[in-house]
Amino acid sequence: MRLWLRWSWRDMRAHWAQVAAIALVIALGTGTFAGLGSTARWRKASADASFALLQFRDLEVELSEGSFVPEGALVGALEEVAPGLVAGAEERLKVPTQVDAGTATQTILVPGVVIGLPLKGGGPQIDVLEVVSGRPLGAADSGAEVVLLERNFAEYYGLPPAGSLSVAGDRRLDYAGTAASPDYFIVMPEDGSGFMLQANFAVLFSSLETAQALAGAPGQVNRLVVRLAAGVEPETAEREVAAALAERLPGVGATLIPRDEQRAYAMIYQDIENDQQTFSIFAMLIFVGAVAAAFNLTTRLVEAQRREIGIAMALGVSRRRIAVRPLLVGAQIALLGVALGVGVGWVIAVAMQQVLEGFFPLPVWLTSFQPGAFVGAAAAGFAAPFAAVAYPVWRAVRVRPIEAIRSGHLARRVRIRWWRPTRRPANTFGRLPLRNLARAPRRTVLTALGIASAIAVLTTLLGMIDSFFHTVDVGEREILAGNADRVIVDLDHPYQAEDPEVVALLASPALAGAQASLAVPGRLGTAAGGFEVLIGLTDFARSPWVPQLTAGSSAAGDGVIIARKAAGDLGVGVGDAVTLVHPRRRAEGTYEFVLATIRVAGIHAAPYRFLAYMDASQSDRMGLNGMVNQVNAAPATGHTVDDVKRDLFRLESVASVQPATVVADTFRDLLGRFIGLLRVVQGAVFVLALAIAFNAASLNLDERARDLATMFAFGVTRRRALRLAMAEGALLGLLATGIGLAAGYGLLGWFVSSVFPRTAPDIGLVLRLTPQTLAVITAMGVAAVALAPLLTLRKMGRMDVPGTLRVME
Amino acid sequence: MIDLAGVGKSFGAGAARVRALEGVDLHVAAGEFIVVLGPSGSGKTTLLNLIGALDSASEGSIRVGGVDISRAGRRELFEFRRRTVSFVFQSFNIFPGLTAAENVQFGIDVAGRGGVDAGEVLESVGLAGREDSFPHQLSGGEQQRVAIARALATGNPVLLADEPTGELDFQTGVQILGLLESRAAEGRAVLVVTHNREISRAADRVVELSSGRIVSDGPPAGGRARTADLHW
Repeated sequence: MRLWLRWSWRDMRAHWAQVAAIALVIALGTGTFAGLGSTARWRKASADASFALLQFRDLEVELSEGSFVPEGALVGALEEVAPGLVAGAEERLKVPTQVDAGTATQTILVPGVVIGLPLKGGGPQIDVLEVVSGRPLGAADSGAEVVLLERNFAEYYGLPPAGSLSVAGDRRLDYAGTAASPDYFIVMPEDGSGFMLQANFAVLFSSLETAQALAGAPGQVNRLVVRLAAGVEPETAEREVAAALAERLPGVGATLIPRDEQRAYAMIYQDIENDQQTFSIFAMLIFVGAVAAAFNLTTRLVEAQRREIGIAMALGVSRRRIAVRPLLVGAQIALLGVALGVGVGWVIAVAMQQVLEGFFPLPVWLTSFQPGAFVGAAAAGFAAPFAAVAYPVWRAVRVRPIEAIRSGHLARRVRIRWWRPTRRPANTFGRLPLRNLARAPRRTVLTALGIASAIAVLTTLLGMIDSFFHTVDVGEREILAGNADRVIVDLDHPYQAEDPEVVALLASPALAGAQASLAVPGRLGTAAGGFEVLIGLTDFARSPWVPQLTAGSSAAGDGVIIARKAAGDLGVGVGDAVTLVHPRRRAEGTYEFVLATIRVAGIHAAPYRFLAYMDASQSDRMGLNGMVNQVNAAPATGHTVDDVKRDLFRLESVASVQPATVVADTFRDLLGRFIGLLRVVQGAVFVLALAIAFNAASLNLDERARDLATMFAFGVTRRRALRLAMAEGALLGLLATGIGLAAGYGLLGWFVSSVFPRTAPDIGLVLRLTPQTLAVITAMGVAAVALAPLLTLRKMGRMDVPGTLRVME
Repeated sequence: MIDLAGVGKSFGAGAARVRALEGVDLHVAAGEFIVVLGPSGSGKTTLLNLIGALDSASEGSIRVGGVDISRAGRRELFEFRRRTVSFVFQSFNIFPGLTAAENVQFGIDVAGRGGVDAGEVLESVGLAGREDSFPHQLSGGEQQRVAIARALATGNPVLLADEPTGELDFQTGVQILGLLESRAAEGRAVLVVTHNREISRAADRVVELSSGRIVSDGPPAGGRARTADLHW
C-alpha cells in the first residue's frame, strides 16, 4: 500500500498545477455552495440575536392618529390582563415632526418622528437602543433638549457623532449620539411610502418628557410596547390586551400590532428567505458547474494512465489493486479541494456579511462558518473526483490488456463520424482548432458546460444589475415628467385649494409651475386579490405633472390609471373594472373607507405598482372636492432645490420638501450596495471559469503533446502553436458563452418574473440585459478560455520535443 | 548537403554525465540514401535529432543545406526546420483531427508551398482515393505513407526518418523503404535511422554507430540489395 500511496503522490506532484487547479475548482464549488447556501441560517441567527439583544417587543399598541392618553393609562390597562401573561410593558410618545439636520456643506430637510422613551429607572427595557456613536441617554436627560439620531439616517448623510439640529416649530435640539433601534433596522416611514428611506426620514429618540414638550402634549403618550412572558401564545395575549384596552380606555381607537407584523421585522425575515432562494440557485449552478468541471478534468488526468493500467493488467495485477492508484489521486485532489473549500466558504461568508451589514446594520452578526451547510457540499465535492476517477478506470479495465498497452494507431482511435471533410483542404492551421474540439465531443461538451455554468451565473447577476438600474431609470424618468429638478411638497394635512396656506405656497417665488394635487391611500383589487396604492388626484387637463400613458387615455373624467405591474397582478386591462377602496370624508370631518367599482382608464409607464392616478374631478367621490395635500413644482429660474427646501420649510403647512429623484437616488444607493454583494459571487465565478479554462488548456497541452512536438519538428513556431491553442480556446469559449448566456437569460427571466415579485411586489422589475453587459460577458467568457493557453507557455517552452516525438502510446 | 565535424553530445552533468555522441564526422550528399545503424543506446536517434535541429550539439559543428545550425538562434532553427529538413517518425505522429489530405496540406502550409496539390502528393505515395480518410480509418502502413507524403510535401531537401518501419509489418515496411529510396533518387538526402541490419542492405551507405562513435561508414556489406530482396 505504501508503494501505491507513494506512486499516487508522485502522480500528484507530476501534475501539481492541474491538481491545484482541479482542487481550486472543487473548492470554489463547495465553498460557494456552502457560503451562499447557508446565508439564511446565519442571517436568521443574526436577526434573532439582534432582536433578542435589544429586547424587541412582542406586541405594540398604537393609538389612532392624533389620539393621546395620560401617561400610565396604557400600562395601567394591562392590569386587566390575566396574571403571568405580560413580562413587561412601557409607554412611548411618538409624534411626527420635520427635521433640519443641515450642515455647512449640505441641506438636510426631511420629515421624521420624535420617539419619547422612559429614561428614568434605567429605561428603556423594551426596544432598547444600541448606541453606535456618542453617548447614551440617561435619566439626567429627562426633559432636556437632547436626542439620539437614528443611525441609518446619520450614516446616510455622514453626520458627526454629536451636534445640533432643528425640528418643527424651529426648536433647536442637541443630539448626543447615534443609535440603532429594532424598529428601524430597515427605515420604513410611518406612512408606508417605502423602505430603506433613511435619506428621507429621520428618527429622533428622546426622553418621554422631551417628546411631550416638543409635541405640546405634557404627560401624554400614544404607544405601548409589550413583552410577553415565555411560552405565551401571541394571539391569546393580543386578545387579552385588546379586551383590557376596551375595558379601561373605551372610545380610544387603538391598533394592536404583533411582532410578526411589525414591518421592518417582517421584511428582514422575509428578505432572508427570498434572498436565500436566489443565492441557492446561484450556489447550485456554480456547484454543478464545478463538479462537472472537476469530473471532466480528473477524468482526463487519470485517462493519461490508461496504458499503465493496461501494463498492470498484463502483469496480472487485480482490477481492485489497479484502481487503488487513480483512486488515491482522486482522494488527494478531493481532500485538497474540500480543505480549500472551507477557506473559500469562509471568505464568501465574510464578504457577504460585510455587504449585508451595509444593508441591514444589525447589532449582531453571526457569520461563523456553517459546518452543516458545508458537509453536504463537501460530500458531493469529495465524490466528484472519485466518480471522475472511477469512470476511466472502469473503461480501462474493461479492455483486453493487449489493447491497453498496444502502441500506435490501434490505441489512438479518434472518431469524428459526423464530420464531412471537403475534398480540397484550405489552410490547415485554420481548421485544426475546430477539428481538435470536434474529435473529442464529450470532453468539449463537459468543459463547455463547466464554463457555461459560470457564465450563466454571471449573466444572471449582471442582468439583475441591469434590470434594477433600468427599472429605477424608467421610474425616475416617469416621476420627473421631463424636469430633472421636480420637487414634491407634502402638506401637513389636506387643505382647501383656496386656503391661504396653499395660495401662499403656490405663489412662492422659489417655485415654477406649481400645481396643487391630492394624494390619498387606497386599495385596488379584483377577485384575484388586491394591494395598497397611493392615488394621485391631479388635474389632467392643466397640470404639467401628469403621468405618461402606455395604453388608454387620461382624457376621460372617470376611471383610474394604474401601473402595468398593477394591471398584470390584477389581470386587467384598459376598460376593465376594478374595485377601489378609498377614503371618504364624512360631514363631520372624519374619514371612512368605502368600496367602489371603477374602470381602468389607462396604464402608466412607471414601474411602481403602488402609484395610481385619477383626474382631480373625481375627488368628489371621496368627499374631498377642492382639497389638496401636495404640491408639485420645479425650482424657479435662479433657484436650486436646496433654495426651495429652505424657503418652503419655514411654512407651517409644509411637512416635507423632497426632490422627486429622492426615491430613485435611494434605490441607486441601495443597488450600489447590492452590487457589492453580487461582485462577491461574480469574483468567485470568474476565478472558477479561469481555473476550468486553465486546467482545460493545460490538459490539452498534455494530450496534444505529440501533435505539438510534431509541429515544432516541422518548424511551426511556439507563437503560432500558441495562437492555435488560443483559437481553440476562443471557439470553446464562444460555445460555452453561448450556452451560458442562454441559460443565464432564462434564469434572469425566472428571477424577474418569479422571485423578485415575491421580494418586492410593488416594483415591476423590467428585464434588461444591456449590450455592454452582453459584450462584457462574451469578452470575459471568450477571453478567459482563449487566454488560458498563455498560462501554459512556460510548459510549452520546456517541452522535450525529441522525447515527446518518440513516445509510444 | 549534411556536414558534421567533431560533433559530440552529452547529457547530464558531473558523475551522471553521459556521452551520447563523441567525435562524429559525417558528410551526406544530395541524392544519397543513408542508413544509420546501431543498437539501442548507440546514439543514432541523437544524431538524427541534431541534424534535424531538434536538439543542439555539445561540441563540433553541423551544417545542413548550407545552414550552420550549431550557431543558429532559435528563430533561425524554426526557419531551418521549415525550409530544409522534414521528418518521418516511427509512430507516424500524424494529426488525428485532420484527414490524410489535410495532414499533407499541413506540410504544404508550413513550408509555404502554395502551388502544391496535396492530392497529387498522396497519389505519389500510393494513397490515391484516401484523401478524405481520417487517420483512424487508415492502416499503419497507410498512416506512415501519409507521414511520408507530409514530409515530401514540404519540398525540403533533407528527409530524416527515425525507425520508419518500426511499427509496421514486413511487407508494409518494405514498401515504405522503397518509397524513401525513390525520394533519394529524386535528389533528396534521405537519412534513415534503424537498428534493423537488414534494412541497411538497401542503403547507398551504412553508417554504423556504437557507444556514440561511428565505427564504420561505407556501402553495405555484400553490396546494395533491392528492397524486394530484404527479409526480417
